[in-house]
Amino acid sequence: MSDFRALRAKIAAIEAGGRGASEVLAFGAPALDRLLPGGGLPLGRWHELVGEGLEVETAAATAAFAALAAAPLARRGEAVWVLRRDDLFAPGLAGLGFPTDRLIQVCARDEAEAFSVMEDALSTVGVSAVFAEVDDVDLVAGRRLQLACERRGGTGFVIRRRPYGGGAGRAVGSASATRWRIAPEPSAPADFGLGAPRWRVALERCRGGRTGAWILEACAAFDPLSAGDADGAHPLRLVAELGDRQLAPAQSLRLSA
Amino acid sequence: MRRLAAVDAQAAAQGLFAGQKAADAAALVPELDVAEAEPEADALALTALVDWCVRFSPAVAADAPDGLFLDIEGVDHLWGGEAAMAADFAARLAANGLLFRWAIADTPGAAWALAHFGPNGAIAPPGMSEPLLGPLPPAALRLQAETAAQLGRLGLTRLGQLLALPRGPLARRFGKEVLIRLDQALGRTGEALASRRPPTPWFARLAFAEPISAPEDLARVSADITEKLCARLEAAGCGARRFELSFHRLDGRAETVGVGLSRAGREAARIARLFAPKLDYVDPGFGIEVATLAASDVERLGERQTALDAAAEAAAEAGLVPLIDRLANRLGEERVWRAVPVESHVPERAVGRAAPLAPASGARPWSPERPRPLRLFRRPEPIEAMAPIPDDPPVQFRWRGRLHRVRAAEGPERIAEEWWRGAIEDVSVAHVRDYYRVEDQDGARFWVFRAGLYEAGTPAKWWLHGLFG
Repeated sequence: MSDFRALRAKIAAIEAGGRGASEVLAFGAPALDRLLPGGGLPLGRWHELVGEGLEVETAAATAAFAALAAAPLARRGEAVWVLRRDDLFAPGLAGLGFPTDRLIQVCARDEAEAFSVMEDALSTVGVSAVFAEVDDVDLVAGRRLQLACERRGGTGFVIRRRPYGGGAGRAVGSASATRWRIAPEPSAPADFGLGAPRWRVALERCRGGRTGAWILEACAAFDPLSAGDADGAHPLRLVAELGDRQLAPAQSLRLSA
Repeated sequence: MRRLAAVDAQAAAQGLFAGQKAADAAALVPELDVAEAEPEADALALTALVDWCVRFSPAVAADAPDGLFLDIEGVDHLWGGEAAMAADFAARLAANGLLFRWAIADTPGAAWALAHFGPNGAIAPPGMSEPLLGPLPPAALRLQAETAAQLGRLGLTRLGQLLALPRGPLARRFGKEVLIRLDQALGRTGEALASRRPPTPWFARLAFAEPISAPEDLARVSADITEKLCARLEAAGCGARRFELSFHRLDGRAETVGVGLSRAGREAARIARLFAPKLDYVDPGFGIEVATLAASDVERLGERQTALDAAAEAAAEAGLVPLIDRLANRLGEERVWRAVPVESHVPERAVGRAAPLAPASGARPWSPERPRPLRLFRRPEPIEAMAPIPDDPPVQFRWRGRLHRVRAAEGPERIAEEWWRGAIEDVSVAHVRDYYRVEDQDGARFWVFRAGLYEAGTPAKWWLHGLFG
């Protein structure tokens, strides 16, 4: 059995193109983690988050999911958020559990500047996560972001957004390690007020892993008792798994996704 | 009554003087050429001259209406001595077509006296201004007109005589002003000059044999001069937070670019790199002959040893500080910030912007019990809401043309205006907002509020202020 594991590690190293083993940030839910390469969200890469409908312009759910997924990462170093339209409300982030005392916000004037700021921030020692709200990432820009991530091991999150509206229609190809599609989901009824916020999350593309869809919940959002939670549990909790891909018990090795 | 404000040498030779009535002057010299005096233009020209003199020394002060003071302590060695510097200065002023008198002394008072009443081009050796001041008249002390006239009437026509008198009776007879001016001239008391720009001893200067204008030359010059000044800062164990690089053009104008650092620094390479993108906006005109670099906000900076394997903390500092500097200098300081809590109930005022590397202030963090949206609109957007029961959240609302049916809601959270901010007459109980956190049938969560109290008969106004994730 151990040679099997050793063979797997070898193949993973070949797949990674000789860039070395990377860390992962586990979600803590096996249904999610077993689809991701390495058992968690790969660090040292950049990920893409897409929304639909009104989210294309406002990007509220995508930003919330990005902040929650990266909250444990932001506690290890500084986080930089590159905006095109400065409507990010810090108390909202704090309510979700994101450490706002480690967040630096930068307002860029156009897409090119946003990309260059993101690249600069990713190549800085001490910055563990960089979020950027841009419209489209073409292959060249994506490759540059990847190289910047690998230089210092920072993780990038590209939130696709058209902050000032406009027509749809964007390029399909991208060089991200994972692509997620986020949509809001009605929360569970609670005895008082609204329940914890929920999202319908679909992993559309995963390099070295498989795709899937789930409903995730931020169980500690707006909860005064869990402010400053130190036990390290991931802020996102799995509620249900969606989709039509049932996993076979004996997993066959897939070499590409 | 029109009077002559100034006369030139030829007119003076004919017997005309300033203050003479213009009619008399025209009668005396029929072919007199008279131009209107423009005091404002003269003041502007003096200011321009003061700015031009910055290439010689950063501490230049104007002495209205027609003089200026240059503090050359510590800069004359760049020319190889006071005499050489003065010769260069005089040659350039004469090349610009100005008639002037000058003197160098170790106090502003003595220099003024020698320039106005002493021989032209006098350089008083340090500490030896008294013998040179002796033969000058009392008006050289910049006294009030009546005091100078009084001194003249009493037969005190030489400063040497004044200096020989005992101080007590002198003060009693003519007032303290005489003593103050005497002490200022001899250096016994200080005199503060209001420089056009705050003078700083951290000043470096490069002059070129031939005027430069190519961008590569500007970049090379900025690197060289930054290295020069940073070497001085390092030798003194200090760092600076603002650097101002001025390029002085052949036509007398100066182009200035500035760089700010979030922490005091003295690494020449890093600072020169921060200057690089700003050099594109420098217009060299016909050429640049002098470049000056001035550092301000200088503070002590300890030695930093570069370790072989830096600890994670040190590495974080070395990487984050230059990043903030680069971003702040490229985009502008107002575009890079950290959100800090501000004590205010009103949501749009509860967030302040602070410099990213400023230490955390002790303000109370945002309360987790009040849910706040992730996206807050700068201006709340009006929505058409249906709330059949007063004080209840709406059952449906229309925003940007789409109908949202409310599935669940939380609230109200009443936020009133901050009555202590404005005039007391404008305060009203009706200036309240009742906020509701609502979720629609798709799961999208909104932060809506009703403005004002419920009044029977008038439809309530509803607004959308933000979106939750």
